[in-house]
Amino acid sequence: MKTSLALVSLALLAALTGGCGGDARQSAAAKASGPACPKAWRVGWQRLANRIDAPVYCPSWVPSPLTAELEGEWNTVNSVDPDRSYLVGFAWQERSEEVHVNFRGYPGRTRVPTCLDVQTGAGKVRRRPVPCFSDARGVKRAGGVVATVYTVNRDADMWHVLYAWRRQGTLYTLSEHIAPPLTYARVVQNLDRMLRGLVLLEPRS
Amino acid sequence: MRLTRRGLLAGAGASALGAAGIYELVDRLTEAPRRAHVFTRPREQHLLQGLRVVDDDGVEVLVPPLHHQVVTARVSVRDSPRALREARLAFEQALVTLERRFEPTPAGLGLTVAWGLPYFERFVPAPAQRYLPVDHRASKGRFRPVRAVVDAIRFPSDPDATVLERNDLAVLLRSDKREHVAEGARALFDAVGGLFELTSVRKGFAGGGFEGGRSLPKLMALAAGVPGAELVPESAQLFLGFTSTQRAGMGPARIANLETLGLSDGGPGGYFAGGTTMHLSHLFEDLEAWYVDFDHDQRVETTFRPALRVARARLTVRQDPEDVVTIAGNVADYRRHGTIGHSASIMPSSRLQHDVEGADGNLYRKGTAIPLRADFNTLDNPFFWSADPERDGQADGPAAGLHFASFNPTSDDFHRNRLAMDGRLPDGTRLEFEPRARGQGLNSVLRTTHRQNFLVPPRRRRSFPLSELL
Repeated sequence: MKTSLALVSLALLAALTGGCGGDARQSAAAKASGPACPKAWRVGWQRLANRIDAPVYCPSWVPSPLTAELEGEWNTVNSVDPDRSYLVGFAWQERSEEVHVNFRGYPGRTRVPTCLDVQTGAGKVRRRPVPCFSDARGVKRAGGVVATVYTVNRDADMWHVLYAWRRQGTLYTLSEHIAPPLTYARVVQNLDRMLRGLVLLEPRS
Repeated sequence: MRLTRRGLLAGAGASALGAAGIYELVDRLTEAPRRAHVFTRPREQHLLQGLRVVDDDGVEVLVPPLHHQVVTARVSVRDSPRALREARLAFEQALVTLERRFEPTPAGLGLTVAWGLPYFERFVPAPAQRYLPVDHRASKGRFRPVRAVVDAIRFPSDPDATVLERNDLAVLLRSDKREHVAEGARALFDAVGGLFELTSVRKGFAGGGFEGGRSLPKLMALAAGVPGAELVPESAQLFLGFTSTQRAGMGPARIANLETLGLSDGGPGGYFAGGTTMHLSHLFEDLEAWYVDFDHDQRVETTFRPALRVARARLTVRQDPEDVVTIAGNVADYRRHGTIGHSASIMPSSRLQHDVEGADGNLYRKGTAIPLRADFNTLDNPFFWSADPERDGQADGPAAGLHFASFNPTSDDFHRNRLAMDGRLPDGTRLEFEPRARGQGLNSVLRTTHRQNFLVPPRRRRSFPLSELL
């Protein structure tokens, strides 16, 4: 009886804190039962998986004050390209401070995509193709994922630290912007925690 | 006894001379390199003896001293010939005592006393008018006499806030042993009471991981917790990663003397022959911008030259005379890539453009480096201690930066090099960049806070130069 009560209260706690980032009790609950995609967030992420007809990773935690609710207050990007690749971003900005995380997936592709590096000098604009993610610095392992850490990234991930991993023919990424109040070290801590908390959602027809 | 603000400042400054702060870690994190014993002292006080040369990735590299300190000050003796004579004797006595105690190598203590124009203008104006050496090349170019030492300027990529300092003197102390530096600083500025009013104390360190393992900058950055510390390469000699003390990239022997290349002479009667000029500046380095906004290839191109490719693990890049980039090479790089490399842009002014027979009898070959740099990593913010914290922007907590000290035959020679970094080449060619533009070498991640030029007299004239002529 005591055990089931505890489970009920944990579930209630998870439901209450669903959609709130960085809560210690949520973390304790996750440790007890493995990471869970909060109910308030799950709807949107499941809809995304269904839309691209491929699995997506729903985060169980994102750094405060963000929530990872698609179409929620902090969701700034939610785009799917014709090739089914997606970019989902959450950002908070106030004065010169920012907390910004991105999630990407490239169904059916595992190669690092190519971006255009645009430099202006000597009166000309120069564009050259470069890897969107570069300067690999080791790997991180969590929950069956082996992610490569990239420190120089482009486009929407510029100035982000980015973790990239492959699963069944799909490349996934998770990144966070290095900007005040966050340093590189803190961003890596956040990414490690997000990586540990990812929950795979399969598409449902 | 009533303590005045001046008295309090003097006490705080004196404490800072020997205080270790975060630099205490240097001795815990690394061991002093082996050094040759040398006991002879050249007439040039800017030349440090016994510097070890090691091979790193097939490139000869000088191993700099571990500990560095610069103390700047104003002269506080009365403006009278007698007071200056007494001060000269007392300061020289203190210097000689230190020289008797320590050998002139990093194992002992390197001492360089440099004097700013305010000293010459305020205390010895008449002899200075006559004896301060002239820069022949700069004078010819400007159709008027230009002194070998001139006031520092703000360069195009410098922020408006860069402080152009007016110190009377600066003393550079270098050693592998922190206690030697501390003892030297105390002996010159504390024990010799009343000669100087300290304006700043600046500290730092150098030391690459040439013998394997993590280098000092990496360990110190991590220990200090400066933003981006984790991104500094394991064996980096400097916070920005690449080695800067390639033997071929440092001016040999007496090349940076006022008179060696004929840029200047020692002034009438060779009073300052054997001397040189020193540029001293401090700059902050944005490590996160450097390592997150530039990938490895871009860092190589920015530090050295566009399109240069260097293996990722390699931090020491050859800078031999055959690697020298000409003005035409820089212009071609700029037109093709829209960028210039830090090292390449400086080479047309920092390397000999043809063979030169020096006044010292040595033949200096085309491509030989002229400046003798003595720059070092720092966690000062921007100084270890400042007498004017508000003006200097003194802040709490460590910050990654560099105290840049360079010996050049003349101040104008340094200015030509620094202007080239901004795309203003010595033949007048201007490669247009916005200030601190990404294409402008390293400037986009550097922020200079302070600058000053000094005259470094030869050893025998180092104490209150020209005061004996009053």
